[in-house]
Parts: sequence; structure tokens; C-alpha cells
Amino acid sequence: MRVFAELMWFFKAHRRDYAVGVLFIIMGSALSLVPPAVVGVVINHLTNHTMTWRFLLAALGVIFGTAAVRYGTGYLWRVRVFGGSIRLATEIRDKLYAHFTKLSPEFYHHHRIGDLMAHATNDVQAIQETAGSGVLTLVDSITMGAMVVATMAITISWKLTVICLLPLPLMAFAVTRYGRMLHDRFMVAQAAFSDINDRVQEYVSGIRVVRAFGQEQWERRTFVDLSRDVVQKNVAVAKIDALFDPTISVIVGLSYFLAVAVGAVFVVQKTMNLGNLTAFTLYLGELIWPMLAFGFLFNTVERGSASWDRVKTLLAIEPTVVNRPEALLATPSGGIRFDIDTFRYPESDRLVLENIHLYVPEGSTLGIVGRTGTGKTTLMRLLLREFDLKNGDISIGGTSIYDVELEALRSAIAYAPQDDFLFSMSIHGNIAFQNPDASLSEVERVARLADVHDDIVRFQDGYETVVGERGVTLSGGQKQRVSIARALLQDAEILLLDDTLSAVDARTEATILGALKETRQGRTTLIATHRLSAVEHADQIIVLEDGCIVERGAHEELLRQDGRYAEMWGRQQLESLVEQGGAAL
Amino acid sequence: MSLELMDEPISQGQKGTFVRLVKYMGPHKGRVALALLLLGGATAADVLQPILVKVFLDRYLIPRHFPESHLILLGAAYLLLVLLTAGLNVLQLLIFQTLALDIIQTLRVELFDKIQTLALEFFDQTPVGVLVARITNDTQAILDMFMTVMSTFVQNIVVVMGVMGGMFALDPRLAVYCLLIIPVMGLVMWAYQKVSSPVFRIVRQRNAIINAKLNESLQGMAIIQAMRQERRLRREFGDVNEAYRQIRYRNTQINGLMLRPLVDTISLFALIVVLAFYGTQSFFHHINVGILFAFVTYLSRLFEPFNNMMDRLNFFQQAMVSAERVFQILDNPSRRPESAGDERPSIARGEVRFEDVSFSYDGETDVLKHLSFVAKPGQTVAIVGHTGSGKSTTINLLMRFYPVERGRITIDGHDLQSFSEDEIRAKMGLVLQDPFLFVGDITSNVRLGNEELDDQAVREAAQFVQADQFIDRLAEGYQAPIGERGATLSTGQRQLLSFARTMVRQPTILVLDEATASVDTETEDQIQESLRKMRHGRTTIAIAHRLSTIQDADLILVLHHGEVVERGTHQELLAKRGLYHKMYLLQGGLKESAVGQ
Repeated sequence: MRVFAELMWFFKAHRRDYAVGVLFIIMGSALSLVPPAVVGVVINHLTNHTMTWRFLLAALGVIFGTAAVRYGTGYLWRVRVFGGSIRLATEIRDKLYAHFTKLSPEFYHHHRIGDLMAHATNDVQAIQETAGSGVLTLVDSITMGAMVVATMAITISWKLTVICLLPLPLMAFAVTRYGRMLHDRFMVAQAAFSDINDRVQEYVSGIRVVRAFGQEQWERRTFVDLSRDVVQKNVAVAKIDALFDPTISVIVGLSYFLAVAVGAVFVVQKTMNLGNLTAFTLYLGELIWPMLAFGFLFNTVERGSASWDRVKTLLAIEPTVVNRPEALLATPSGGIRFDIDTFRYPESDRLVLENIHLYVPEGSTLGIVGRTGTGKTTLMRLLLREFDLKNGDISIGGTSIYDVELEALRSAIAYAPQDDFLFSMSIHGNIAFQNPDASLSEVERVARLADVHDDIVRFQDGYETVVGERGVTLSGGQKQRVSIARALLQDAEILLLDDTLSAVDARTEATILGALKETRQGRTTLIATHRLSAVEHADQIIVLEDGCIVERGAHEELLRQDGRYAEMWGRQQLESLVEQGGAAL
Repeated sequence: MSLELMDEPISQGQKGTFVRLVKYMGPHKGRVALALLLLGGATAADVLQPILVKVFLDRYLIPRHFPESHLILLGAAYLLLVLLTAGLNVLQLLIFQTLALDIIQTLRVELFDKIQTLALEFFDQTPVGVLVARITNDTQAILDMFMTVMSTFVQNIVVVMGVMGGMFALDPRLAVYCLLIIPVMGLVMWAYQKVSSPVFRIVRQRNAIINAKLNESLQGMAIIQAMRQERRLRREFGDVNEAYRQIRYRNTQINGLMLRPLVDTISLFALIVVLAFYGTQSFFHHINVGILFAFVTYLSRLFEPFNNMMDRLNFFQQAMVSAERVFQILDNPSRRPESAGDERPSIARGEVRFEDVSFSYDGETDVLKHLSFVAKPGQTVAIVGHTGSGKSTTINLLMRFYPVERGRITIDGHDLQSFSEDEIRAKMGLVLQDPFLFVGDITSNVRLGNEELDDQAVREAAQFVQADQFIDRLAEGYQAPIGERGATLSTGQRQLLSFARTMVRQPTILVLDEATASVDTETEDQIQESLRKMRHGRTTIAIAHRLSTIQDADLILVLHHGEVVERGTHQELLAKRGLYHKMYLLQGGLKESAVGQ
């Protein structure tokens, strides 16, 4: 029940809705006491032969009135209470989403997307149920139960009430117990289900191996076994499920039996009349729901509070990269200085960068080359403050990047990351991601710069073509060029290209680099690449190996040094010869 | 923009889908009948209870006539009926549920079997996640329909019929009035379905949008943050979230107006009718209070079934959408290449011949153009070329992953089509570039489902390819567990293991797709040594990335854009000083540029 207290902030914020809702629940419960009483009185008049037209009409009128009012209250509390719980779920989802946008990349290293999704869906759903049917059952089972019992005891017979209530706690017990067993077995069944999911996933991913080795029969047997296991575990669930309603009907039947049998004795003893007995059994019927609800309540609340705890824990995680106090608002500008003594990723022992001391003058181009995993991307991520340096500093125009606000820093930098992730929206939307209000002509301009305009207009819907699973699948090279166009639209002073030309051919690469050179005069560009032709014309090139700069200088200088760079250059020259050679033959 | 695209397929012919689903119950007729019988019994026992109470009231209590033995009998009968109802209900519920589970098992296996017969194109075109969702999640949704929708409907309809029967037994005249309840409730259900189903459909769509949006944002968070779009995306998410809230609220409103509150109201109206009937009667005739009592009890039982059914209506819709998707796969016409003709030759010598083979995946651009070559038994033919030159396609065709449409491939003079699937898989050993490993252990990955291969054979194969050295170093040896995609092993180790699983089958023809990924030098040497041993005495078709490994090949084909641009032995090709020569220089490194001339 603690979870209700913890959700009090929400109930308080929407106290009118909840107050009205709870009031109507109670009213509805009170009204449901009326018809049995009326039936009781009618029966008494019938047995005593004292029925009159007036009375009959009055009785029917009362029931009709009750029905009308109860319809109203029933509708109103549902809309208030369930509507409120839907609002709560919406608010929590918004909170979670906002929180996700604030968290630093470090967080995403530790959490799998699937798990985060589960929090935002299943957990939020469980909390919603607690605030909806949880509140309903809490209010209803207590007030309705209390009112019905009181009516039975006071207006009819307290003795009979006590006797007939004896079996009912069994019901709450059974419901709670079955509920828990169901939950446990359901978890087991879910695990089996997830096994078969994994297996199918593996089968589909490895389909070529399966076919090459003629494994089909064996795969089929495995699948059938796993599927049968799922069935068996679900049968275990079904066994409890099948007990649920019949158990309740036995307990209720027992109560009825007691009511009629013992009630008959009272009638004979003249301490009760027949009308009262009928009303009594009808009231007994009204008690079933509160008892059931009480059992459900435990399970709902248990699940809801576990979910709420998980969501709370998630919301409590602080972003690791934040604005420092007194950080400047002005967008930094000028040459970039890297003074990195050492850098390790959080919770990792491996040195990723070491002794990077480097100045990139304003308006110049820096080439960063080296094999995969030598720290090229890390250098860019540090400049963007995806991670913070502990030993060393990076400054732009003499101001440390840690002394400006994140917004200001990032507005100075346009970034085309290595992983060319596009959103499943139109190409226009993707290119104009940073500025959704950008005009079509502006979007076309940067698309031309990135040499992707011609590709785009060939699609049926041109710039409105949707990319991703539900739209067109772009080739790796097209994605990279869209991602470059997206970065160019930002028109920032600093441009980072992180191996974003790897999937385009040499000619396209040259076109793009030429266009960049022309339009980005006086502005700084950092290019990380495997392919040296991309940095051939850079003002300064660094060669990274195991996080250290092993060579630096301009292209010609590096060739003269006849070191790693020269070796890689020679190799790649030949490679491009082979690429073109076949056509030449 | 993308929001509208999330639309579900507009369900056409939901009736057809439903009928097709119901047909799956066909083989279980006996159990359905038994369950229905039990259900009928349980309902009858349930309906009899108020009648016993009525007998007690009218015959014994009101006349104050209490013969002990009768009363004990009556009481015992009542309690017995209570227990009987419960017992029969447990049984019939269990039968209905296991029946549903069995049907889903059948459907799942049918789907799996279907997928096994689909051509590889299908797998290339369908994202893994989508396919997995069809086999597991969609069938689960159909299960819900059998379990909750169908069984709920059948049961509750029987209960309604039973209660109506009881009413007729008590008082046919009044029961006729009560019969009106059924069309009224039918109308309510129809109206509810009409009003709620479009809304519920939007609920599901918007929920899917929220999930897609969230998933995508989490994946692209780095870009969102680098481009400072957090605020905009929060706003956008807030919008879809609010849209979802509104439609859920709408759904709640409809439920509030048309579900329980409405049913409760109708049940009170029914009570009014009953009371009015007896009240009016009482002015003219004598009334049996017991009948009134029993009637009122019946009324209270008559409406819960309608509540139950209406609660389940939305599941039905969801299940139909899933069923349609599942049937779409079951009806997919694509077939993997199969054996043709009556002759089933066997592969003995291993002579491979390509005759003017051309191939296109999309029917537009040819990725392979007029390829012809012969590999005599025991010879090695190596194929080199850059990415996209058609090397992998050659192997896809030879392994009969794709059908040969133009030209001809023969083995030992017989058309590739004429061989049985088993013969091809048994005699042609493929080593894939990506040594895909399955979750299991070393032995299971070598065996790959062929249980005739004993531990001895597995061990020998491992020794043959020199994988035994690293396996012996593992704590659990051949039983060492292998995680998802073999993540626990190094690339080289995975490669050796994939050799072992090919060699354990002792193929006549070896098809190699050499790995591009570089491995550490120590394993590299082992791999080369193993490859030499494997090729010995076998016809080998090899895609080579390292030219050093194929210097002794009997024929080297240089592919460029699907065409053979050079062919010959290593020495002949070097002498031509063409593309092969350049590639060779490239791989040998600059410093050894003089070698081979």
C-alpha cells in the first residue's frame, strides 16, 4: 500500500478528479444496496398479501431511479479514476522520455534498449493499473464491503451475517494465493516463450548454415520440443486459471447454503421473514465483488509498487555530463587545442587516448587516421563532451569547453558520426533534423554539397521519401551522404566527419571534399578516416596508434617520413588501382 | 509523417480469416464435444441450484413442513450440485485451454515448416525481428483468441442458455418476456463493437507509434544530443504521448458508457419487469414466493456472461490482425530450389562444371554474366575479385541456395537440379565467411544436428583441422559452452570450428568462402595449414581473399562486375601483368614487389 503514498503527488495534483471519482464510487456502492432492499419489501408484501398498486409503482420507481443514477455515477467515476490513471501513465512516460534525453552516453553503455523499453511500457502499464483499478478496488472493496455487511447486520440479522460471512475470507485467501501462483507460473511460461523466441531468432539469423548443412530436420525437432515446452508451461498456468472461478463458486455456494439453511431456521423462529431472507441472499451476491476485489488488490499493488520502484531508480540516475556552474552561454569560436594526458572510458581500465597535445588553428583541416579502435572517434566524442576528460583539457578559442554550456558548445560543432543512424522519417526531415524549419532550397543545397541530391530526386517521393523499415532502404553510401548533408545544414564553425566517407566511392569522395573546401573556407574541419585520400589535402594529419600520436604533419611531409602513413598510402593507392583496373582492362 | 504509415493492414475478409482459424479445431472434434458436454453438465448443475431453493421455500419453509430426511436430502443435493458445478467447470476449462494450446502448437509448427521451404530471398527481404514476431508473438495473440475469446463466448452463451432454460422451467410466461433480454444485449454488443473497434484500432496504432518513437530515440540519442534536439523531440514525444492519452481516454469513455454501467442498468430494468409482472399477478392470483426468489437469482446470473463477452471483444480484433499476418506467410508462394526430374544421381567423383551461367537477384541487373569453368575431380578452382564482383553469388548458386535460371551447373555430368537435397548437403561441404555458431557447446556446433556423428568423429575432425589444440585448452573441452554467436571464442577459433563441422561430414566437394577478417598470426598459420589438408584430394571451389593461399590452384578466375576478366594459373596470370598481378603486389606488400616475376 506504500505505493499509494508514493503516488500521492499525482493524486494531489489531480485531487478534484480523484475526490469526485472516489465519491462516485462510494455513491454507486451505496446505491447498489437499494434494489435488494426493495425486492425484500416487495416479497414481504406479496407473502402478507398487502401489495397495493401505489406501493408497487413506488417500488419500481425507486429501482428505476437507482438504475438511472447509478448509470451516471458508474460512468463518471470510470472516466475520472481510469482517466486519471491514464494521465498518470502519460506523465510518467513523458518524465522518462525527458530523462532519457538528459542522460549521457555512459548511461547507454550500461543499459540495453530493450530493458529501457520494458520500463517505459510494462512498468508504466503496471503503475497505471495501480492508480486505476488499484484505487477502484481499494475504495470499492472497503466501502462497499463495509456497507453491505452493515446493512445485512443492521437491517436484517447480525447473527445470519456472521454465519454467512464465515466462508468468505477463504475467497480472498484463495484469490490472493491463486493470483500469486498464476503470476509465478506465468513468469516460467514467459521464460519458455523467450527461449523459443531466442531460438527462432538464431535460426533465422543462421539460415544459411542451416541450409548448407541440411540441419532442417534437427532444427524442426528442436523447435517442436521448445514449442511443446511452452505449451506445457502454459498448461501449468491454465491449471490454476481453471481453478479460479470454480473455487469462488464453491465458496459462494457454501455461503448461500448457509444463508438459506440457517435463514430458514430464523424464519421458523419468526426472528426473520421471507422477504428479508431473499434480500439477504441478494446482498450476499453483492459481497462477492468486494471480496474478489480485495484479493486482486494485493496482486495489483504488489506488481505496481515493484514497477514504480524500478521507474524511480531509473529516474534517480544523474547525467554524468552536465553544465558547470557559471558556464558561459556564448558559442565558443576559434582554434581548437587538445591537451589530453590520459583518457579511459568510465569503468574501464584500458587507456584509450594518451598524450594528445595538438592545436588545430581556426579555419584549418585536421586529418585523423589510424586503424579501428585507435581512438579516432573518442577524440571527436571528447570534443562534443559526450564524455568528460579527467586528465587534461580541450579548448576552443582559448576557452575550455568545460567552461561553456553544453548547448553553446554543441551549437559550434556539426557532427556526422560513424554510425550513420537515420530516423524513420522523410529524407527532408532527416537532413533538416537540426533545424526542422529549414526551407527545401536550403535542404537541397546541402544535399547537393553532400552529392546525394541526384539520388534523392530519383526516389518516387523525392525529399519526402521515408527511410527505414517502413520506407525505402538506403545504401550505406547514401546513408552516409544524407548524414553529411544533415551535418552541413547546421552551418557550424567546426565540422566533424567521423569516417563518414567509407562507403562512397573515390570519385564521390573527391566531389564531396571539393565542395566542402569551397563552402567551408575559414572554418575548421576534423576528418577521421581509414582512407587516406580523404585527408590528402588536410593542413595537418595525425596518425593514431593505440591512443597515441605516432606521426604528424602534412601529407607530403608524412610521405617523406616513410613511416606508417607512407606504407598505408602505398597500399591504398594499389587498392584503388585494382578497383579501377578491371574496368580498364 | 511516419505516423500514418504505422497503419495496420486494413483487414479485408476478416470472416475468411476467422473461418480458417476455426478449421484448426477440426482435428480436435472429440475434445471439443467432450468439453461442450462437461460445460453443459456444469451449467445444468448450476441452473438447478436456485430451483432446489425454490422447492425448499415453496414446499417446506412456507407451509412450515419439515420432514427431516427430505430436508437432508435436499441440502445434500444442493451441496453436491455446487461441487459438481465446480468440478465439471474445472475440467471443461482445462480442456478448452489445453485445446487452444495444442492448436497453437500445430499452427506454430506449420509456420515453421513453411519457413523451412521458403527461398532465401524471403529471408533477405524480411527483417529478422519481423519474422520472429510472426512465429512467436502473432501466434500468441491468436492463442489469446482461442483461449479467451472463443472459450469465453462458448461458455457464456451456454450459461445464458442454461439460465434461460431454468427460467422457462420456472415460469414460461415470464421467461418469454425475459427472452427479450437477448436481442437487447445482442444489440448492445453489436453497437459496442461498432463504436469501440475503430477507437481501439487507433489505440493500438498510437501505442505502436509511441514504442517506435521511443525505441528510435534511444538508438539515436547520441545524434539527438549532438544536434541539441532534445527539446524538440521531447515536445514531439509529448505530442504522440498526449494523442495516445486522448484516444485511451476516449476508449475509457466508450467503455464507461457501454460496458458494465449499461449492462447493470439493463439488469435493473429486467428486475423491474419481473417485479412488475409478479406484482400485477398478485392482485389476481396466488404467487409462489419461491418462484420469484429463484427468478431474481437467475436474473442476477444472466448478465455477468454478457459482461464477460464484451470485455473480450477487443482481443478478437487483435487476434484477427495477427492471424492475417500469419496466413500471409503461410500463403507465401516463394519456394526454395528443389530437386527436379526422376533421376536421383549421387556425387562420386566431384566434377563441377559451370556452363554459361548468368544470374540476377532483382531481375534487372546481372550480378553474374556468362560464367563458365570446369573443376575436375580433385582440382581447386579459386575465384578472386573485389566486393560485389559476383564471388558469393557463384557459391550461392553452386550450393543451390538460389535457382539457376540461365545457363547450367552440373556435377559429375548431372544437372544440379537432379540431385536430392540430402545428397547435396552430404557431399558438398561449405565453409562460410562468417562462421555462424549456435548457442550450445563445441560438440553440438560440429555435429550441427547430425546425431549419427559420435564423439569420436567430432574429435577426429577437430584434430584434422587442428582445432583440437585450442579445444583441449578449454576447461570443459568439447563440452565448453558457446554463447550467442560464439562470442566467447576468437575469430580464428570460430573459423577452425567451422572447418571442423564441414570436415566431419567428409564432403566430396569443398566450397570455401574465405574469411576476410584478419586473425592473429598464430591461428592464421594453423588456418592455412588446415585449409591445405582439407583441400587435399577434394574438388574445391574457393573464394580467396588472400592470394597466397591459392597459388597452387589449378585454375584462378578473376571476377570483375560479374564477368571473368582473367583466368589461368598463378604463374600465367602473373605473366599477364593484369589485375591479378596488381592484386598480388598489393597483398604481398610493396617490399616484395619483385617476387613472382
